[in-house]
Amino acid sequence: MGLNEVLQGTAYPPVTFVVQEQRVRAFAAAIGDRGGGVPPTFATAPEIAAGLANVIADPELGLDLSSVLHGEQEYTWTRPLRVGETLIAEATIESIRGRGSMRFLTLRTLLRDASGETVVVARSTLIVREGE
Amino acid sequence: MSRRFDDVTAGAEAFQVSRVVTREDVKAYADASGDQNPLHQDDEVARAAGFPGIVAHGMYTMGTLASAIVGWAGGAEALVRMKVQFRAPVFMGETIVCGGTVRSVDPVAHTATLDVWVRVERDGTTEWPIRKSEAEVRLA
Repeated sequence: MGLNEVLQGTAYPPVTFVVQEQRVRAFAAAIGDRGGGVPPTFATAPEIAAGLANVIADPELGLDLSSVLHGEQEYTWTRPLRVGETLIAEATIESIRGRGSMRFLTLRTLLRDASGETVVVARSTLIVREGE
Repeated sequence: MSRRFDDVTAGAEAFQVSRVVTREDVKAYADASGDQNPLHQDDEVARAAGFPGIVAHGMYTMGTLASAIVGWAGGAEALVRMKVQFRAPVFMGETIVCGGTVRSVDPVAHTATLDVWVRVERDGTTEWPIRKSEAEVRLA
């Protein structure tokens, strides 16, 4: 099934994500982070909850996980995440590009805090190999 | 405490940090991040995709690199932006080397832009799981 280009611009429903201390500690240990705070890339956890999880489950999109590679990742941080805070994560399909057997799906996810401030902007580009 | 602007020079090597990638850490990463793609946990699935065994998450590798940057910069608050390209897989038991070089400094904004990468030696060849990537760091 081909990647459905009509879905460019699709916004997935916002997800509430609590930055739990135990999960932060487990994440930091897995990547060898000894800083003691929340590792900057802990943003990946709410990003997945709001974005990738929806993309994979979206029948309209027709994405086959076994044909997907992670091509690029970008984060812009306004400030570090804080243990115990509640974030609202909202993902949008920014673009679907490419032709032939190679397509690029770019997902943009905003993480906002309780005051509405954007804390992290995440941009994830998936490479989708088609027609194999 | 953040690294001082006066101590950073364009062209200088910033850091090199090595880490052995283990199955246990990659499983822990899957649980903590929520990325349960079987490519990172099931050898059969990974072999069907053409790999010799499970592959570390690209984000596991980026996370390790980001922590190395933060360790050099002096805290998570110093990391402003990071953009990476994933260009090669990382397998279990391999040693990844995360590195960074100062590309440029901005004396007005008190920031530095680093060229960052992750390297692995495999069968006598140097592979680059992350290359042509950059990070912007705020300095004191």
